[in-house]
Amino acid sequence: MDGIGTALFAVLALGLVGGGLAVVLVNRITAAALFMAFTFLCNAGMFLLLGAEVIAMFQVIIYVGAITVLIIFGVMLTPQGDRRYGLFFQKQTPVAAIVLAAVAIPVVVFAFSFRDPTGAPHLAPGDLKALTTSIFVDYAVPFEIASILLLAAMVGAIVLVKRESDDAAGGER
Amino acid sequence: MTIPLAAFIAVSALLFFVGAAGVLVRRNAVVILMCVELMLNAANLALVAFSRRLGLIDERGSVFVVFVFVVAAAEVAVGLAIVLAMYRNRPTVDLDEVQQMRG
Repeated sequence: MDGIGTALFAVLALGLVGGGLAVVLVNRITAAALFMAFTFLCNAGMFLLLGAEVIAMFQVIIYVGAITVLIIFGVMLTPQGDRRYGLFFQKQTPVAAIVLAAVAIPVVVFAFSFRDPTGAPHLAPGDLKALTTSIFVDYAVPFEIASILLLAAMVGAIVLVKRESDDAAGGER
Repeated sequence: MTIPLAAFIAVSALLFFVGAAGVLVRRNAVVILMCVELMLNAANLALVAFSRRLGLIDERGSVFVVFVFVVAAAEVAVGLAIVLAMYRNRPTVDLDEVQQMRG
């Protein structure tokens, strides 16, 4: 079981980092969106490996389902033809690479050196009861505020893409 | 549960910086939104890992993951709406060519 878990972790870690790199490096935007969905699926597998089944389910439903579809809508509604590969990086790439490497390398080294605390309690498998108790009892008010945020975002998105009234019958571009 | 916590945190950090590199390096607005989602996913992975391994009472960290889901959904909806409005003004999503909001 441990060997299977380790192998699974290795595959999922490769999928996560490789999928992320593909999103950054692939030229075709539709392919990048699908690689992003693949990365989200690998992350759901990571959650399962950690024993957080409910979070993994939310990950599949919200990220792999909803957000990927929304992003693909965005890709399809903004067609722009093929671009040369060299054109798709910004002018600031060298500066960004230097700054990012300066920040990232210490952080990643620190993350690898993180040690498990001894004697930490291992939670029981399954996270449904603890999670729902936390959300609906301890964090009930933030939960309601989050629902208001979703409503505000929906109204805001509709208002932002609403056409002016004179060409409202113009149909989709 | 023999996989060390450090492995999960290291993968999370790697994914986060891949996403950060994408945000800094790409110029397509939709791809930048995707990379922001990657960074949020990396943060979620770290939160769940710490919550599952270090949670003393219950899963407080996982609750924040749920809130991150909500905020990510709102963010991507509003972000794509802004990109679409921008594209309607001028058919480009290339952030180097968008000069209108520059001060």
